[in-house]
Amino acid sequence: MKKRIIAVLMCALMVVSLAAGCGKKGGAGSNGNVTLKWAIWDESSTQYWGDIKKAYEAAHKGVTIEMVDLGSTDYMTVLATELSGSGSEFDVVTIKDVPGYATLVQKNAIVALDDYIKKDKVDLKKFAGATDQVVVNGKLYELPFRNDFWVIFYNKDIFDRAGVAYPTNDMTWDQYDALARKVTDTTFGKQVYGTHYHTWRSTVQLCAMLDGKHTILDGNYDFVKPIYKMVLNQEKDGVCRKYADLKTEGLHYSAAFSGGDVAMMNQGSWFISTLITNIKKGDYDAKLCGNWGLCKYPHAEGVEAGSTLGTITGLSITSASKNKDAAWDFVNWVSGAEGAAVMASSGNFPACMTADVKKAITSMEGFPQDQQSKDALDVSNLYLEVPYGDHVSEINSVLDSYHGSIMTGELSIDEGVKKMNDEVAKILGK
Amino acid sequence: MKKPLLSKNAKRTLVAYSFIAPNFIGFCVFTLVPIVFAFALAFLRWDGSNPIEFAGFSNFAKLANDTFFKAALRNTIIYCLGTVPLTMVASLALAVLLNQKVFGRGVFRTLSFFPYVASLVAVTSVWKMLFHPTKGPINTILHNTFNVAAEDLPKWFTGSLVLLSMILFSVWKYMGYYMVIYLAGLQGIPSELYEAAALDGAGTWNKFRYVTWPQLGATTFFVVVMLTINCFKIYDIAIMLAGGGSGELTESSTVLVFYIYQKAFINWDLGYSSAVAMVLFILVLGVTIIQFYGQSKKDKA
Repeated sequence: MKKRIIAVLMCALMVVSLAAGCGKKGGAGSNGNVTLKWAIWDESSTQYWGDIKKAYEAAHKGVTIEMVDLGSTDYMTVLATELSGSGSEFDVVTIKDVPGYATLVQKNAIVALDDYIKKDKVDLKKFAGATDQVVVNGKLYELPFRNDFWVIFYNKDIFDRAGVAYPTNDMTWDQYDALARKVTDTTFGKQVYGTHYHTWRSTVQLCAMLDGKHTILDGNYDFVKPIYKMVLNQEKDGVCRKYADLKTEGLHYSAAFSGGDVAMMNQGSWFISTLITNIKKGDYDAKLCGNWGLCKYPHAEGVEAGSTLGTITGLSITSASKNKDAAWDFVNWVSGAEGAAVMASSGNFPACMTADVKKAITSMEGFPQDQQSKDALDVSNLYLEVPYGDHVSEINSVLDSYHGSIMTGELSIDEGVKKMNDEVAKILGK
Repeated sequence: MKKPLLSKNAKRTLVAYSFIAPNFIGFCVFTLVPIVFAFALAFLRWDGSNPIEFAGFSNFAKLANDTFFKAALRNTIIYCLGTVPLTMVASLALAVLLNQKVFGRGVFRTLSFFPYVASLVAVTSVWKMLFHPTKGPINTILHNTFNVAAEDLPKWFTGSLVLLSMILFSVWKYMGYYMVIYLAGLQGIPSELYEAAALDGAGTWNKFRYVTWPQLGATTFFVVVMLTINCFKIYDIAIMLAGGGSGELTESSTVLVFYIYQKAFINWDLGYSSAVAMVLFILVLGVTIIQFYGQSKKDKA
């Protein structure tokens, strides 16, 4: 009997050692050469990853950047799994959203950058306050290199045809609502939608956060009621497409806007380069959407214009990295002025926005040439869609779910908001 | 004479073990160990990285006060209660029908098996088009022919209707598969039994009631157990029909497996997620034991 057990164990040992044989090798090279492993998504469809790698390697002899594409669909989930436990091989990871950032910080998977920042005297002012909103217990774990913010895209042809003046950079939500209704045409067969909201929660609920008094971590969400009321009334009157329809069809916002029947659409600045490229390539019909413009987000009554929502994309250094100093140099370079120039060259918004960067983007071929569209890029207050908080990921799940319930009419606005209040209170109270 | 290192018997066993080993080791590493670990996790607090803490029964205590867990549990049970009997009846009826010598039964058999073979993602897209709240043909017919007002048209994938849509979809998609199993069962019933029943003057219904149904006992048991287990595992249908938008699944459409995933890999609360998984496990185990017990009692009788 004993022998049998030994035999089984031997077999097991053999298989395990075989498996271990193909395990990890490599790491820091011998002759001073460093390889940094960097987690990214969608390498083939996003130009700037490759641009950054090339520019950094050209400026830093002996450093090789090795990109690992984890895909965009559940990037942060896959990354968190990769960095769980020990044995991760990543040196630098890209942070796609704040809930994912919170997860990695709580897991101790990434390191605080404060000592490096102090040592190299990095001035955080260049990030216009964005970094303040992702500070965890006084420490900062990422530096942003890309910063997208929300603007209103509008189709000038529709406004011209209706004989209505273009939206301006200084509108209240009421003026925006009235304008949307003015250009709406509900005649069957030639519908024009005054506005369009993609199925994300951010397109509706987060518009209420722009008064600077509220955030999504508040625990009381009564202040979002007016914006839901406005959007649901617009749905009822045919001013915008219905949420339930959009969800069933899975209509992408780019298809909605490029279809030429949407007058105004709130969307992130990432859509600018998408629009320019696709119109140039002929994938979007320039006759339908080629004549577009930008304006600033509408604002609450009594608040100055130019406040908007934003999301940052940042870089962090993993706790497991053996080349932390080299990794820091990379992070600092990409988030700084040199990285910003690389980002702007492909029409993306770097986190460190300078006059040069703005000029580079607005002078791109295909960017609307009126002054107002150029000015729309000046942001006075940037509120992160999701600032850092202890239970941010759970709160997000709850708010997302009840956003769906309100928008499909499963719950009335009052019922839905009450549910948000109750359920988030449970999370915050534990 | 030198004594061999291993006796003949031991050698033979060793060879046998070495053949099983690759599969069994894989099973141990990737299935058995994680299952046992999941049981332990239900009593622990862990986010996958930080040190594991002992949580006792606190994970289970939290379940009682969790709106989404209760909604997921309720939805999953309603879905099972709707799907299991309906699929069983539909597939049995189909099997009995297509076991008759009717013209073109081969074609009909293939056709009813077709939904099972078709890709889930593709057919859900078709269903979503058919049931589209404003542009779908079904609601258009309701609106034009039955004069249902535009505001009252059912939104098939939201609110109280979403579970019904999921049940109908699931019955349609999987009845072909269970029909094949029933057909195999029907072929196994000796024709003498029907002849004897006919001699005793049994009509079609009595033949079914006293010959077909009891003879299919073992098949029905298998079908019900498989159906129940598959129903409790529901995830893909819910995501494909009711998902999308920002909330993925709302209170009215969330299901246990989705909630387990969300708690484990979105919110990284592995202990709590394992506690939910335990509830699912106990549910499936309970239902199976009851059926098993009922079956073995019937066999004895």
